[in-house]
Amino acid sequence: MNDFFTSGVLVATAASAIRLATPYLLASLGETIGQRSGVLNLGVDGVMLLSAFFSYWTVLQTGNLWLAVVVALAVGVIMGVLYGIITVFFEATQGISGIGIFIFGLGFSDLMFRQQVGTPKPVQRLPNVDIPVLADIPYIGEPLFQRSLLTYLAFALVPLTFLLLNKTTFGLNIRSVGENPQAADSLGVSVERTRFAAILIGNTLAGLAGAALVLQLGIFQPNLTQGMGFIAVALVYFGAWRPLGVMGGALLYGLVNATVLQWKSLGIIPVSISDLAGMAPAIVTIGALILLARRVNAPAALTKPFSRH
Amino acid sequence: MNDKSNNLLEMRGITKYFPGVVANSDVDFDVRYGEVHTLLGENGAGKSTLVKILFGLYQADKGDLLLRGEAMEISSPSDAISSRIGMIHQHFMLVPTLTVAENVALGMPSTRRPLTDLDKVSKKISEISEEHGLAVDPAEIVEHLSVGERQRVEIIKALYRDAELLVLDEPTAVLTPKEVDDLFVILRRMADNGRGLIFISHKLREVMSLSDRITVLRNGQVVGATTPGETSREELAQMMVGRAVRLTPDLPPNEVKESRLSLNNVSVKNDSDTLAVDNVSFEVRAGEILGIAGVSGNGQREIAEAIAGLRPIEPNGLIEINGSNVSDTSTRSRRDQGLGFIPEERVPDGAIPEFTVEENLILVDHETDDFVNRGLFSFDKISEHSSQLVSDFNVKTPSVNTPTSSLSGGNIQKVILARELSASPSVLLACQPTRGVDIGAAEYIHNRLIEQRELGTATLLISEDLDEVLGLSDRVAVMYEGKVIAVVSGEDAGREKVGLLMAGITEAVDA
Amino acid sequence: MRKKLRLISSLIAVLGVLALGATACGSDDSSGGGGGALTMAIVAPSASDDLAFSQSMVDSVNALDRDITVQVTDGTFIVEDAAAAIRGYAEDGVDVVIAHGTQFGASLAEIAPDFPDTTFVWGTATDTQGLDNVFAYAPAADEGGYVNGVVAAAISSTGIIGVVGPVEAGDAVSYINGFTTAAEAGGATVNVTYTGSFGDVALAAEAAEAHLANNADVLTGTAQMVVGAVGVASDAGVPWFGTQSNQTSLDPDLVVASQVYHWEFALEEMLELRDNGTKGGQTFEINLENGGLVIEFNDGFELSDDVKAAADAAIAGIIDGSIDTGA
Repeated sequence: MNDFFTSGVLVATAASAIRLATPYLLASLGETIGQRSGVLNLGVDGVMLLSAFFSYWTVLQTGNLWLAVVVALAVGVIMGVLYGIITVFFEATQGISGIGIFIFGLGFSDLMFRQQVGTPKPVQRLPNVDIPVLADIPYIGEPLFQRSLLTYLAFALVPLTFLLLNKTTFGLNIRSVGENPQAADSLGVSVERTRFAAILIGNTLAGLAGAALVLQLGIFQPNLTQGMGFIAVALVYFGAWRPLGVMGGALLYGLVNATVLQWKSLGIIPVSISDLAGMAPAIVTIGALILLARRVNAPAALTKPFSRH
Repeated sequence: MNDKSNNLLEMRGITKYFPGVVANSDVDFDVRYGEVHTLLGENGAGKSTLVKILFGLYQADKGDLLLRGEAMEISSPSDAISSRIGMIHQHFMLVPTLTVAENVALGMPSTRRPLTDLDKVSKKISEISEEHGLAVDPAEIVEHLSVGERQRVEIIKALYRDAELLVLDEPTAVLTPKEVDDLFVILRRMADNGRGLIFISHKLREVMSLSDRITVLRNGQVVGATTPGETSREELAQMMVGRAVRLTPDLPPNEVKESRLSLNNVSVKNDSDTLAVDNVSFEVRAGEILGIAGVSGNGQREIAEAIAGLRPIEPNGLIEINGSNVSDTSTRSRRDQGLGFIPEERVPDGAIPEFTVEENLILVDHETDDFVNRGLFSFDKISEHSSQLVSDFNVKTPSVNTPTSSLSGGNIQKVILARELSASPSVLLACQPTRGVDIGAAEYIHNRLIEQRELGTATLLISEDLDEVLGLSDRVAVMYEGKVIAVVSGEDAGREKVGLLMAGITEAVDA
Repeated sequence: MRKKLRLISSLIAVLGVLALGATACGSDDSSGGGGGALTMAIVAPSASDDLAFSQSMVDSVNALDRDITVQVTDGTFIVEDAAAAIRGYAEDGVDVVIAHGTQFGASLAEIAPDFPDTTFVWGTATDTQGLDNVFAYAPAADEGGYVNGVVAAAISSTGIIGVVGPVEAGDAVSYINGFTTAAEAGGATVNVTYTGSFGDVALAAEAAEAHLANNADVLTGTAQMVVGAVGVASDAGVPWFGTQSNQTSLDPDLVVASQVYHWEFALEEMLELRDNGTKGGQTFEINLENGGLVIEFNDGFELSDDVKAAADAAIAGIIDGSIDTGA
């Protein structure tokens, strides 16, 4: 255990936690915006897989990481438009449609990978960018300020999402259509447009999450996400639909994962119980949820399609 | 322009079809500046459809709409709002989790786009509040507000948008009498300031007191236009229902027998743990209806729940049904003693909205041998029983397998009534039995209660509708601040006298 | 409206399933002609080009020196899908169906008795569940692990080696045990992490990062999710040892050696038995001795002659039985 409390190991654990949390955070923030508007998107994992593949493929073809990020954003937008049309204009059942998107993303990314790539080939990874001055702070400089631009973006999006939801007219519209779309409609707020926009933002962030995942790893494999998108949805509930809470959930999940891996490496968790310890992130996160549980209700109109008649 | 003789709104020949129904058929309707024009009609008469067309929520299939003398197309609520039409919906169009200011600002352009300008909104809300006497805190979250306050927020929303034509769809349905009085003062003042108001209601007393003009709809058509000076409540009721209606039931003489329900020194605490019912004693005898009158919130709800077994009473109190002490027993055992209960909230307390009519009809008796055969439901018997009740109690439903939620309030109430009365209760506890119910259905329910009285049931009637209490009760107990401050016999119980008692004024009455 | 949306929803679902199906029912890989050729099918849990477990079998079947027709269903990480594929091939009259995954055993026990003329090949497994038309196969992965361990301990300067494993089961355990025995004998400390997942690349990468933070300067790992860990090794410039397939392509500079499974040696024997009328009932092990396991060194990574010699000595010792891999 003493080995764990050395600065080098703690710093590495923190850095690992932040890397692990980044894709979750991006996807969960997007899902938060969507859910606050009353739309549940269970297709996050599928969108992440698609964007992860296409941004990986872009790097493989062009070697251009930023083009890869743009491609991931584009995949998010396209999937957002698709999901928006399905759920907002056709008022489809959100749970089923989301699963449909997931299955499509899983299958299509797999198919494209086999056809276009075949054997996993490593590509260059997102470089870490030191933030001047801050990066040199002992202990916290390395885990917090020597990270990739997508990680900085993910964490910058936490206050931005908060501002968007709570301080802008658009955010007011989002919250209203998620709680009482009839009321918003009666005041001339377009429920359809607001939800569509929220879905678009949500899927775009899911796309970015896919890029963050694959560009951190520098390699793609079928079903790369292993259900991360579903955990991202769960983290929205954990975070009680608030950006800060969602960030807390993503960080906790990342930190427990990183700590468990570190403890396994150090032998603090013996091999004999290592499979059991793999459940720790889920257990700790659920435990924290129970302990911290405030009486926060989901947006009242979540999963309910809106129509005037 | 604001001349009182001019039409602010004219709707001509409005026709609206829904699948299988003509909701509005060639309806003409106009509103002048500075008047309250009432749309009167039973549920389903087409009042809401007409104003929803005006507000852009529905599109008319035929007809013209003129606003300030000019033909208008209103295809969405935002068109309506920009044409200075405001609507107070029957069900509040408020977002409960948002603050008052956020609710008001919703859908309005902000001076600090893309950010909100809630401080400015709050300031203007305070100005409006002051000008119109609509006290409300802009920073408060709506779900923490009382019903009356929410109503005020709705009105502020319309005024904030500078509405000149204001539609109020059944605004009093959820208000207490005091809140209704306050509201009417505000509405009258708004009309006097030159606004045009459309008031939708089926409560005749309110319509007579507030309206300048009255248009009556029945089955989607205009069946009459009049003014309060030219008509009476009875005449209005006849226009609405299409036949003569007895508004105040006649109570035939009846023989009163033994005591069936008795309360002795009963005290009950409310949800916030303060004493809501304070040492109350009375009894209800076979063949009589004891009415409890009182302004809402004076302990009526708590005493009903205590009798039904839903709320514990304080030690020392005693509730007896047919001579046996039920003070601490379960709801079920009270029912076994012969108690029938029509709760104040039809849904979800009285009926489960997702259940079918049939399921709600056997909700209480579903464990008895009548319906169960070797542990399994006997569906034939259930369906036979349900169909019989539906026809006996005149429930308008497509079938006994229709989800109860798709029935009108009056018909849900009939389902509850059918279930409770079919058990031949020896004691009936009826809370707000006709609240929000059509005149026709109310008349029916009243007749049923009188029939029970003739059969010897001891009925405790709790209602905020003073006319109902006075018309149906052999004796009237008036509750004020948790106490029964007077019990008067039906003949002695004049509207004025009971009104004073309800306000806690006993001196004038004792004399 | 409602009808339309249902249509759209089902369309989406169908699209998804089609996309999945297109990959899963993938390649119809014929090596050799039609008529009298032996028909074989492989059902594998991960991608057939995963540079690990599944690829090892596909490569091996393709390496068979026989007139065969091969069909592959891969990516069947859901056992029920695999079971359906296995049964489907048997119904189609395929002669030899390879169920390439320990987790398919229970399904096989149900399916195999229904098709007595079909030979089922199941692994990695050390018994045939008493079924006389099932051949079982397993790699002596500890042997290659041992050889890799010898080399790893020799090239480590910190004396700390990190191992990234999936779930503590099957050939992963024997590889890691063999590796650990040798590396520890060579004076190194071996830190083993089972991430708990065969597929979680991100977790494997972070497991490797954790080892690096604990001063490991040589890494190894097993199962398909290690591609993430190899990426971390690459970035850190740390040598990597592979197993199951040749992983040199993941980093031509830093992959030292890979233990490669050549199932064809076992398969060859099974097919011969089948030719002679034995449809199953035997268990095969591939190991260094029978040539089923091969240590493939990467020429791009320079090893000193001493180390090379030590590796060769280890191989020889394992084959003649003088070395105990400790597995």
